Amino acid sequence: MIQIQNLSKTFNLTKAQKKELKTNASSVNAVNNISFDCQPGRIFSLLGPNGAGKTTTLRMIATILKPSAGDIQVSGHSVIQAPELVRSKIGFLTGSTKLYDRLSPGEIVDYFGQLHNMDKALIETRKDALFTKLGIHEFSKKRIGQMSTGMKQKVSIARSMIHDPQVVIFDEPTSGLDVITAASIIDLIRECKEANRTVIFSSHIMSEVDLLCDDLAIINKGELVYKSSMDNFRKESAGTSLTEAFINIVSKHNPVAA
Amino acid sequence: MSTILTVIKKEIIDTLRDRRTLMSAIVLPTLLIPVLLYGFSKLSSTIIKKEKEKKLSIAILNQPSDFSTYIDTSKYKLVTDMDMEKGRDAILGDDLDAMISFDESHNQAVVDNKTAKVNFWYKSTNLAVKDRLTGIFDDYEEDLLDDRIKSLALSKAVLNPIELNRYDIAPKKEQIGKLAGGILPYFFIIFCFMGCMYPALDLITGEKERGTIETLLTVPASRFSILFGKVISIALVGIAASGLTILGLVVALKVIPDIPEDFMEAISNMVQVKYILMLFAMIIPLSLFFAGLISALAIRARSFKEAQSLVTPISFLAIMPAAIGMMPGIELNWTTASIPIMNIALATKEIVAGTIDMGHYALIVLSLIVLAIIAVVLSFRQFSKEGMVVN
Repeated sequence: MIQIQNLSKTFNLTKAQKKELKTNASSVNAVNNISFDCQPGRIFSLLGPNGAGKTTTLRMIATILKPSAGDIQVSGHSVIQAPELVRSKIGFLTGSTKLYDRLSPGEIVDYFGQLHNMDKALIETRKDALFTKLGIHEFSKKRIGQMSTGMKQKVSIARSMIHDPQVVIFDEPTSGLDVITAASIIDLIRECKEANRTVIFSSHIMSEVDLLCDDLAIINKGELVYKSSMDNFRKESAGTSLTEAFINIVSKHNPVAA
Repeated sequence: MSTILTVIKKEIIDTLRDRRTLMSAIVLPTLLIPVLLYGFSKLSSTIIKKEKEKKLSIAILNQPSDFSTYIDTSKYKLVTDMDMEKGRDAILGDDLDAMISFDESHNQAVVDNKTAKVNFWYKSTNLAVKDRLTGIFDDYEEDLLDDRIKSLALSKAVLNPIELNRYDIAPKKEQIGKLAGGILPYFFIIFCFMGCMYPALDLITGEKERGTIETLLTVPASRFSILFGKVISIALVGIAASGLTILGLVVALKVIPDIPEDFMEAISNMVQVKYILMLFAMIIPLSLFFAGLISALAIRARSFKEAQSLVTPISFLAIMPAAIGMMPGIELNWTTASIPIMNIALATKEIVAGTIDMGHYALIVLSLIVLAIIAVVLSFRQFSKEGMVVN
């Protein structure tokens, strides 16, 4: 379970960043006082336009970034007080994640298994199961640098799931992938739900959201502007497409109370 | 601890598969000294032999009759029909190697026991011309001098009021050790730096640029363990590069012919377990210092290119003190022992020469350890800043 409470993140701006953003402000609020919960066995979708603060939020859940205010509890552990415990519970997969070009899939998965303090036998068992499920065995001896984007994404999935995480974070996981590889990731997200994991998922593709999600939140300019169950969202957007409903919400930009 | 070892194992495998690092940290340090030594000894002996055997074209103006006996026509070709102006032009145009001009009053000056002037034109860029002809003049002058001494009924001792006998009692090991020991650290310090530089850029900035660092930060390990594993891996490559430089020297000495025996003996003395251990006791903290320092800079860079431009100027910090330490006249004392990197160059000279002061040596090793700790702490501070690690 993920519980986000009054979460904010402020970035100090360098001179170059001020110039790029054409602002005199010394800092920018990437995420401003947002709160929501993600339940085990349900898929939570985090939506928002580019630069809304989705990736910053997901990075705070993954403890890559520290919150400026508020807190996040992952499986009962605070990202501020026990970041290492939180990291042992999560799997993190993004569409932009890259792998080590000079290593093979087996070496990468072994490396991450060892970094999760798993013993050798358990790594082998989990690795074999994941490689079989994802069809990695046939190219397991190849180095990553010689692989297609789809093959790499499969290895990324195996790397993220090797330690059997309770919470899985997917940040635009199908971005740039062909239909077949994207479909295998959609299946994996579904399987995570069936295995009673907590899944948080960010995407720009509304059809994927419609297909997968149980709950959703929309953020814009760092603020939470909508949160509801997917069923309720469908009801509220009756007569319009989900994309239109999303655009309407973002353009209204009405932050809801935390 | 297990995280650090896991990171080291992975980074070493990854690094050894990187051609750029292999080239700069393994191949180049191993081959540079043997290739330089072999190339230099072969080239210089070939050139010297060729220049010594080459038949020189010379022009002699107003040649005294007795001088012709000093010119071996199998080694010198006499060019006639020359005057001063034509001769100078011919030398400049490489049609003539040298021109000698005796004064018209030369024979009279010899008879009158006066100084006779001889003018000699050559190009210093034509190797051995000056030495070969100066040798002829020395012989000619000595014979004239003997004749004069005989005619004046003097003893040759009149011209040598004192006889200076020099006895250099410095052992060969010390003489050659200080020479070779000055050059050696210059190479192993540079290769230590280069050995650290490419892995640091690849394992830190490269990981940021490729986006793999984000995933690495989601494992349940402290940032310090991850960074320390990386810094140790980088330092190990630097140590290997330095070690291979020394190995390259040893192999070169065994393999390359024409190296003087004294030199061989002095260098062979250096290749003793005690001296090698003393060198590595300096190289290990030096490499950790370079690894920490370069990592601290590499963390700040967003791209490999930016990291290169940040780190390259720092290489002068390694090269300059090492070059100064190589200069003759700069000795190891309590002041120079406190100057980082230069102290290693000076200590290596003393170690190879067998004259190292253990107090100085202890100060050097200790100061290097302190520097290494500071550099690692500095890199950790950078690595702890989230803005530095995630683009």
